[in-house]
Amino acid sequence: MNVRRNLAGVLALCAVAMIFLPLLLTFYLSVFDETLIVFPPHGYTLRWYARIWPEFGAALRTSFFAALAAVAVSLLIGVPAGIGLARYRFRGRDAVATMLLAPLTVPGIAIGLGIFVLAVLIEEHTEWAISGSLALMVAAHVLITTPWVVRLCLASLANHDAAAEEAAASLGARPLAVLWRVTLPAMRSGIVAGGLFAFIVSFENLEMTLFLTAPGMTTLPIAVLQYLQYHIDPLVAAIAVAQVVFVGGALMLLDRHVKLAQVVA
Amino acid sequence: MVEEEHPARLKSVSKRTAATGFLGPATLVVTVMLAAPLLLLLRFSLNRFDIKELMIETVTAENYLRFFTDPFYLGVLRTTVLVAVTSTVLCLLFGLPLAYRLARSQSRWKSLCMLAIVLPLFVGSTVRMVGWMILFAHGGMLDSAVRWVNGVGLEVMYTPFAVVAGIVSINLPYVVLTIQSAIETIDIRIEEAAQSLGAPPGRQFWLVVWPLALPGTAIAGILCFILAMNAYATPYLLGGPRFQMMAPLLYWEFSTNNNWPFASALALILMSTTLVLTACSNLLIPRRYRA
Repeated sequence: MNVRRNLAGVLALCAVAMIFLPLLLTFYLSVFDETLIVFPPHGYTLRWYARIWPEFGAALRTSFFAALAAVAVSLLIGVPAGIGLARYRFRGRDAVATMLLAPLTVPGIAIGLGIFVLAVLIEEHTEWAISGSLALMVAAHVLITTPWVVRLCLASLANHDAAAEEAAASLGARPLAVLWRVTLPAMRSGIVAGGLFAFIVSFENLEMTLFLTAPGMTTLPIAVLQYLQYHIDPLVAAIAVAQVVFVGGALMLLDRHVKLAQVVA
Repeated sequence: MVEEEHPARLKSVSKRTAATGFLGPATLVVTVMLAAPLLLLLRFSLNRFDIKELMIETVTAENYLRFFTDPFYLGVLRTTVLVAVTSTVLCLLFGLPLAYRLARSQSRWKSLCMLAIVLPLFVGSTVRMVGWMILFAHGGMLDSAVRWVNGVGLEVMYTPFAVVAGIVSINLPYVVLTIQSAIETIDIRIEEAAQSLGAPPGRQFWLVVWPLALPGTAIAGILCFILAMNAYATPYLLGGPRFQMMAPLLYWEFSTNNNWPFASALALILMSTTLVLTACSNLLIPRRYRA
């Protein structure tokens, strides 16, 4: 029994190592004073951090705004969809639920190619120059971020008794007031989690976005991939560190308002 | 009687309108954005590729025949499935104990631990690969350490092992979070009941927690499998040019060869393989435990 317990402990440690070892190594690499990965390094420097913005600023900006827009749109359509699935029973509900979650089960590289090809076809038949536009990228990202919003909103309402809403309605609250004062507050953690995951999914998407970039409009993951093709140096590691510090800080701030442990669970 | 029926019917009509209003936009967007591209891929995959004209409109199965008769392409598909299955099994093996501990933790550091698991997701898979590259690279940490100990270096870069390690580390946070939230919903009193009835921890887990956690674990496994089937950056960066998986192959056919018909066929083959295997995985779960 003790052996079994130890085994579980070892496996959990393996998981922690698999997640954090590469990150820690990245932290270490980011201060190497080398232009190639040579171990051990001859010296340490912070100069890589100064090169992040000149080299990747544009890509970071594109990624950030695309993710923000995708989050906004997917919350706008995903939150009501979550409420609809949780609160209404109708014929075809299962089919709608399956459809809304379907983008999670289709490989992104397939959807990416499909969306690009569709955009080219539309472009040939109309005058709209949509392939390689930020709007198309956002629309494509909305497709993969919406299922996360729907899923997490639905989950947050599943544990919440609809009786509270009925009580509010029977006490004379109008439907919109019920929605605004009872339903939405009850699903606050689901909305925050949905927005958070939507941001992650959009910000780090590579496979789908590969087909949707244009000269002068690449996202961070693709810019990094292209950079790594020609040079493996500590600059990319410095980006990782900057991201961890920035995102970690933002999450800590967020944690004060919404308990993240509850949100993510 | 009539007066009673009328409001009820009115209510059901307004309910239907409300449901449509709530669900309509999202369903419309997802259906159009998903179905139209996939149908188009299906059409394109039946076209013929020509070096001069690129794509000739016709109806032929030659793209599919080319894939299924060439050992090279079948090998790529086999490698992809093997890598995906291996990394999914490892993710569940490592992720389950960690998820269980996190879910049952009463520590005041729990919030911080959850944050630490979410954080790597924000950094993105491409950037996180760099960590593995320093460890595995020629002259990297592992190589240097082994060379220091026994004089001969260790080459891990550009091996299937490196690719699986990379994919496992990228997918683990998703797996841990999904299973953790599933275990979180299991009432701890059920476990306490089992304990008070004398079940040792092992039995407590396998007979009580595991069956209840199975649906959530299956979702985590499927998510991990799909992400692995789709992996682009990891095989590209850690597998090297000779290690072929479906996603890099597809992109190469598209961007370098400009062979859209064959790329479309590859996309559909990858998609259907993923769907079929995902559906089959359901059979691994005993019927009485299915969600």
